[in-house]
Amino acid sequence: MKARTGYSTSLKQEFLKKWIKGIRIYSNFKKDMNILERKKAIKLSADLAIASTRNASTRWSRTLTANISKNETNKIFVEQIFSDSEVIKKEAPSRLMARSNRIASKKIWRRSHITQIKARKMGPYAVKARSIAKKLVKNRTKVLKSLVPGGENMDGISLIKETLDYIVSLRVQVDVMRRLASAAENSTRSL
Amino acid sequence: MSSRRSQMRQAGVSRITEDQIVDLVSKLQQLIPEIRNRRSDKVSASKVLQETCNYIKNLHREVDDLSDRLSQLLESIDSDSAQAAIVRSLLM
Repeated sequence: MKARTGYSTSLKQEFLKKWIKGIRIYSNFKKDMNILERKKAIKLSADLAIASTRNASTRWSRTLTANISKNETNKIFVEQIFSDSEVIKKEAPSRLMARSNRIASKKIWRRSHITQIKARKMGPYAVKARSIAKKLVKNRTKVLKSLVPGGENMDGISLIKETLDYIVSLRVQVDVMRRLASAAENSTRSL
Repeated sequence: MSSRRSQMRQAGVSRITEDQIVDLVSKLQQLIPEIRNRRSDKVSASKVLQETCNYIKNLHREVDDLSDRLSQLLESIDSDSAQAAIVRSLLM
């Protein structure tokens, strides 16, 4: 996974193009949408567009696309969008589960022994403080996993890497959407 | 002893260094406006995680709000105006 730290104009342009293409396709599907359907068209197209800028190279983007395609009504729409570009890869059920169970059991063994050794060195108070800190990190990691698409099956390092990429992509998405909204608002005002 | 080591080899665990983790966490910190300017040794891992989660939630909410705004804009555009034609040709 190539790391992106900032975001370039070309990325924003790619997102904008794909987003608008998606809205157009959706509108051809459903003429005469009410405001809720219109919102769905806009949001769905935006999510598919930002995911597709990663070309299936990140877990979050593959999961996001797969989740959207799971819905029967969306599937046809998604297929139309991707018809001339990349294939929708079916996100394989994670083989990491078995591996992470093995890692988890190893960690449990190590943890139970390390606390005993540390208690001798650090004293019981410090050990307790550290275990509270660890619990905090664990709980917050759980929340993060629920926020990043596909996060549930990721281990620590992958989770942080995916989060980095996901945040950069979300910022691009918000930035472009915000600009379009202001531009549209300004244009309707100026008459 | 040896069973644990072969377990590690089976799982394909690469040695993840402390430095790698610190590096990634500091990169994450750089992205979050709330904690970007604090010294990395003064921000705890749990704080970085907490602010990251809040940031992502805010971004999700913004996407949702902007989708609302845009859908309303398209509804309220007077169908005869020149602006409507421009926006329509762009989006529809």
